[in-house]
Amino acid sequence: MMKSMLDEKKKVADRYLKRQVLGEGTYGVVYKAFDTMTGQTVAIKRIRLGNYKEGVNFTALREIKLLKELKDPNIIELIDAFPHDGNLHLVFEFMQTDLEAVIRDRNIVLSLADIKSYMQMTLKGLAYCHKKWVVHRDMKPNNLLIGEDGQLKLADFGLARIFGSPNRKLTHQVFARWYRAPELLFGAKQYGSGVDIWAVSCIFAELLLRRPFLQGSSDIDQLGKIFAAFGTPKPSQWPDMVCLPNYMEYQYVPAPPLRTLFPTATDDALDLLAKMFTYDPRARISAEQALEHRYFSSLPLPTKPAELRIPPPKGDSSNSEPLDLNQQQSGPTVLSPSRKLRRVTLDHEGFDRDRNQS
Amino acid sequence: MADFQTSTHRSKWIFTPQDLIEKYKAANQRAKQTLEKYGVTRIEVDADGSLQYPEPQISAKDNAEKRSRPKPLNFEEERFMRSFYEYKIQEVCAAFSFPHKIQATALIYYKRFYLQWSVMEHHPKHIMLTCIYAACKIEENHVSAEELGKGIAQDHQMILNNEMIVLQSLDFDLIVFAPYRSVEGFVDDMEEFCQAKNDQLQMLKDLHKTAKMEVDKTMLTDAPLLFPPGQLALAALRRSNEVHQVLDFERYLSSILSRQDFSHVFSELTESLNAIDSWVMKHQVPTTEDMKHIDRKLKFCLDPSSHDKSKKREKKSKHKSKRSASEMQNLPPGA
Repeated sequence: MMKSMLDEKKKVADRYLKRQVLGEGTYGVVYKAFDTMTGQTVAIKRIRLGNYKEGVNFTALREIKLLKELKDPNIIELIDAFPHDGNLHLVFEFMQTDLEAVIRDRNIVLSLADIKSYMQMTLKGLAYCHKKWVVHRDMKPNNLLIGEDGQLKLADFGLARIFGSPNRKLTHQVFARWYRAPELLFGAKQYGSGVDIWAVSCIFAELLLRRPFLQGSSDIDQLGKIFAAFGTPKPSQWPDMVCLPNYMEYQYVPAPPLRTLFPTATDDALDLLAKMFTYDPRARISAEQALEHRYFSSLPLPTKPAELRIPPPKGDSSNSEPLDLNQQQSGPTVLSPSRKLRRVTLDHEGFDRDRNQS
Repeated sequence: MADFQTSTHRSKWIFTPQDLIEKYKAANQRAKQTLEKYGVTRIEVDADGSLQYPEPQISAKDNAEKRSRPKPLNFEEERFMRSFYEYKIQEVCAAFSFPHKIQATALIYYKRFYLQWSVMEHHPKHIMLTCIYAACKIEENHVSAEELGKGIAQDHQMILNNEMIVLQSLDFDLIVFAPYRSVEGFVDDMEEFCQAKNDQLQMLKDLHKTAKMEVDKTMLTDAPLLFPPGQLALAALRRSNEVHQVLDFERYLSSILSRQDFSHVFSELTESLNAIDSWVMKHQVPTTEDMKHIDRKLKFCLDPSSHDKSKKREKKSKHKSKRSASEMQNLPPGA
């Protein structure tokens, strides 16, 4: 009887035949592998176990617990999780590439219909998460994976969490800076799904421009970049702003017409973009509402996923050139510098400490 | 996560009473066989989830010690053992002032764990603490293993060693639905239903409070493995309403059935609520005497070599004054 249980365990690990390394994830190596049970190609994240003071990696646990419950065509599927050889293995469906690679690949022409298709798939996945009260908190192009069939799926739920509990404090240290919503930059501890929408609007802008839209070099600079693009928010526009923990007054800058920033965008695209880039998170459009926006029903209709042109599989790293980080735009100057130097402090929300260690 | 309907909890972890009996029996049977074969049942675990099963004992030594061979726990004794440590979960969580949600999550983890294992294979004291630790982690209310261990004078490495086997035994389904939220939701709804004003609002508050205590009781039974959290909540509220008499509960039940797309009819719902009540009613609290006996048996199953040592210890302590009940309530040492 005991022996059969051991065999069982061995079988689980034998089910997958490891192939090449795909890359280093947030918390471990990712392998390509072949699932002998289904004949499917899969991606396996390997996370080291043991000798950690706090046991199984928090980021991994967050990802597992949420992905076990989230099943949607636009969300990455977690196929299996098992420990083996001192590592925790997470088995995901294999995805060929990601949106960052698409945006960067100069050989790919992104038509207005293609952009619409990517936006629609992103918002569908996000609307599903929000319906289940999950905020992703790390939306950015390289977390949007794209399958061979052109389907885009939200991945990397290591920072995601359940929201909606009143009075629960959340950390504002989430998202890559360029995708961080203004309320987070002002230190909000209570926020909702709007933070994901802001990030998606940055991705929308990035698809239109083919470069990251608001490339701040610090949190303050990030706010500067945001204000330069949309004008400094007035309290009448966003009443709660002045109450946020790290709020400070910025010199007033008027907003340039949105059209000048996105010369290629249609009126519908600009209208949706403006609704997503709304300062007040309460007034910001939701994922569900955004999907209902006429942008998605007007011509040109979104390209069918299977007809999207995508770059060759990841791992063929020949065509990925480093992102241009030096592309500086001049922002407005800070009127009243913060009273003391603002050090980045980690909240005791949960496990972000862990993330910084790994 | 606010969607029980599509959850792993609903699809994988709600059973029939017959299912439960079969699972408990199978685990008990397996441990018994191991004991027969190897003379010991404990399974050693490692932080990476690897298990080490007992090694067959040398037969010569075996024969010599045949008479002092440990006897396995029976089905009932296992149940008592499991139940005893469920109380401990509530106690430990209360001592740390953890929110109800954590306590409930830990209890559900613990219950699910022992659907697959016998207490003779994994000591419930270890599993209980590991479940609390995992529940804190998952509910984003982190307490370090060290802190948790220190709080109750236990080695935290043991918690970390057991974490993976617990997660794995849960099949990594870590989001669980406790009835407390549902109770809150129903109480809010009742406010509207009764169009409650001052006096009645206070009565609803009392109703809520008693219902929470009723849920605490329910969580110690098998009911959370048999019924969805909404029904557990309604049953608790109904029992609480019997005390406080705030509203006509039958009318309230019909009203929610008529409003929501509940899949069942009135008679089915009341039948479930009655069944939950009877689980709560017939739940037996193991006595200190029961536990003393079972715990001794368990200790020998897990570690037969402890037999002689503890015999000596017992002799020694015999002339000591009778152990206080509270001392007995403490976790058995060295288990």
